[in-house]
Amino acid sequence: MNVKGVGILFNRGKGIEKLENSLLKGFALPENGYYKISQELFCDELILKNMRRADDFSKLVAIAAIDAFKDAQLDETDKEDLGIIFATSFGPHPTTFKFLDDIISFGEKEASPTTFSHSVHNAAVSYVSNLIQNRGPTITITQFVESFYQALILAKSWLTEKRCKNILVGAADQYGEVMNYICNKKLKLAKDGKIKPFSFKKNPDVVPGEGAVFLLISSEEPVKYCKIEIGSDTKKDFVDLCIVDTDGMSGNEEFYLSLKEKYPLFASYTPIFGSMLTSMAFSLVTGILMLKNQKTYSVPVEENPHNIPLCNKTESKGINSIACIKYNCEGKQMKILLSKQ
Amino acid sequence: MSSTNEEKLKEIKTKLKELLVSHLNLTNIKPSEIKDDEILFGQGLGLDSLDAVEVVVLLQRHFGVKVKDMNEGQKIFYSIDTLARYILENIDNK
Amino acid sequence: MSGLKFPVTGIGIISACGNNINETLISFQSLKRNGKKVSLFDSKIDCPVFEVNLKTSYKNMRTLDLALEAVKQAVEESKLLEVRENYRIGVCIGTTIASQLNDINFYREYRKSGEAPIDSVNRYLNSNLADAISKYYNFDGPKCTVANACSSGTDAIGIGLSWLKADMCDIVICGGADELNIVPLSGFFSLGVMSDELCKPFDKNRKGLNLGEGAGIIVIEKEEISKKRNMKSKFYVNGYGLSCDAYHLTAPRPDGSGLSKAILKALEEAEIKPEDISFINAHGTSTIDNDKTEGLVFKNLFGGKIDFLSTKGYTGHTLGAAGGIEAVFTILGLKEGWIPASIGFENIDETIGLEPTRERREVKGKYALSTSLAFGGNNSALIFSRE
Repeated sequence: MNVKGVGILFNRGKGIEKLENSLLKGFALPENGYYKISQELFCDELILKNMRRADDFSKLVAIAAIDAFKDAQLDETDKEDLGIIFATSFGPHPTTFKFLDDIISFGEKEASPTTFSHSVHNAAVSYVSNLIQNRGPTITITQFVESFYQALILAKSWLTEKRCKNILVGAADQYGEVMNYICNKKLKLAKDGKIKPFSFKKNPDVVPGEGAVFLLISSEEPVKYCKIEIGSDTKKDFVDLCIVDTDGMSGNEEFYLSLKEKYPLFASYTPIFGSMLTSMAFSLVTGILMLKNQKTYSVPVEENPHNIPLCNKTESKGINSIACIKYNCEGKQMKILLSKQ
Repeated sequence: MSSTNEEKLKEIKTKLKELLVSHLNLTNIKPSEIKDDEILFGQGLGLDSLDAVEVVVLLQRHFGVKVKDMNEGQKIFYSIDTLARYILENIDNK
Repeated sequence: MSGLKFPVTGIGIISACGNNINETLISFQSLKRNGKKVSLFDSKIDCPVFEVNLKTSYKNMRTLDLALEAVKQAVEESKLLEVRENYRIGVCIGTTIASQLNDINFYREYRKSGEAPIDSVNRYLNSNLADAISKYYNFDGPKCTVANACSSGTDAIGIGLSWLKADMCDIVICGGADELNIVPLSGFFSLGVMSDELCKPFDKNRKGLNLGEGAGIIVIEKEEISKKRNMKSKFYVNGYGLSCDAYHLTAPRPDGSGLSKAILKALEEAEIKPEDISFINAHGTSTIDNDKTEGLVFKNLFGGKIDFLSTKGYTGHTLGAAGGIEAVFTILGLKEGWIPASIGFENIDETIGLEPTRERREVKGKYALSTSLAFGGNNSALIFSRE
């Protein structure tokens, strides 16, 4: 699977250049306790002109998806039967709660049909299809911490069976008031506002975030960014760097300790984005950027109680391959391998 | 039409224009810019079928008026004028 | 990858017309319709819905309980438990309700006081369908919960096919499940597409849909695997097509070109022509737009004489479960050799110009088609066959 386009919208902005600026600037404390996307970041006039009644979730997804689509610069023939696979852990929950608000305030017979229409997980991707006039296969999936990983497995399946040659694969999650209440009840929100990705604790600190990432993946050459391998393909013995997708959201992170002797260098960039069950997409896009630029970026938070070899320099460096690893709370490993060629 | 009814109709039109702009997120027009004979669907404001059912809910919530037969919808929802008159007739009939 | 066929080695079903296959067939024969006002929760909406008489609760979200009832039937028929350690078994299930944080009692309490018991949130977190089913049986393989609105169940089966073709696993449990819930009840009512009487798919006087709940699950596997473990089946999934309208958030493209594209893709994968299809299990929700669009497509692709029906008159529109339930019904049609009347239909709609089955009809051919259309403009089609 070849990465031909990348799109991202997160707390600090939109686009891969914004991502690089954020990596260069390093850690920043969140405002209001989580890495929120401010309303001004939704101001993409061209896109939003056709999305007047869309909720923020749909806007978030559309902006990142179109960003990746434009970045890939596909030919007209390549656009035919473009597939779209979108993964989300919780979907547009603020919109669902807004609909429940309507039912409670106005009664079941006077709730907003527009709000209802946006409360389904796949509404967001329908806007993407409309914007690029794509008539190819389109799927939305939801698998909590495995969401993005399963999206890539499906993408690989579609490319293998030749259902598509090009696929927009993405992930997004939103935060919100009710989610904040739930996270306070169920997780350990960091008092100092810092995710500590290398603490590898049973009950790690969380700083919630929100955002969207899309990749345009192709079965065809040329490779613009890098190649992706998943599942049983990832047997490469040596990688230059391991990005651990640790942000506290998936619970127990002790499993990562078993990786200590397996890789020469470790990194994690989750403190740039915030904690999300779809964070693997964000960790992956950072690896993709590093391979494209042949550059490492210093990790934003260096607390390292287990003394693992950290990537703490921003410098040009020959990088051939990067592993991106996530464990779920039961210790099941998901590994994605990125390689230059 | 009596002058009281004329005043009521004017109030309804003003409120209707504000509701349409705010609830349907019509970002490229102000309520004061919407003409009374502005066509609502297709051309004019360019509303669609999803907006139509949203307007039905707005009429219920803000005016207590039900649209009993959606087949009549095309006539009722033709313009601000026709919609306002429908509201006025049905408020009076309650 | 065309011309491949994947044996169906197990099926399971639960809906308002029966808690298993035998009860379902009895309902089809007796033309039984169980639609009435919702009793599972309080509601001011009187429109009929199709509730399941669920006898067992595992204390999960209701959707997961429904799914497990159907999964159990399918797993038992396919004898999967005996071989689960030998094969990679994937789970792919479609849903709408189980994918959402939508418990109104939790939210009402939270809104009132800023605090609310987290029990329903915990149930939601433990009820991701693919994850929960995979864990329940200790299967090892890919898992995916599909949230593609009303085509989720069909798409889940399509994803299962893709996994098998790409060698992601050897066997897949797939289908859909959904429960009745105030959110879609209120939502579809507000959209003006819910009927206050029992639905009449494709009928001239149809007024809209009735909601329902249930689960439909099938087990499909690679042909060589089914032979190896002596689970030969006479029924297959042969093709899947999926397309997007790129038209409107809730209405289908009126020219039906999206649905046509999905059906043609499925036919291409199955390496058959439209005239090879012996019957169609339509999406047939009984809304003005859906039935008109589907009817147009059936006429254009299959001519005026194709046998087709909507089973939503028996089950209601079960949203994410619909594609799974209708896959099971389609396979049953091939297996039993007959399809029931398209219940609710009385008078032909001249703008459609076709009529579904008015009474029980013998199935003569080898292939059958099941179609689904969804919010967001998704169109999906599956082709099944018998030997």
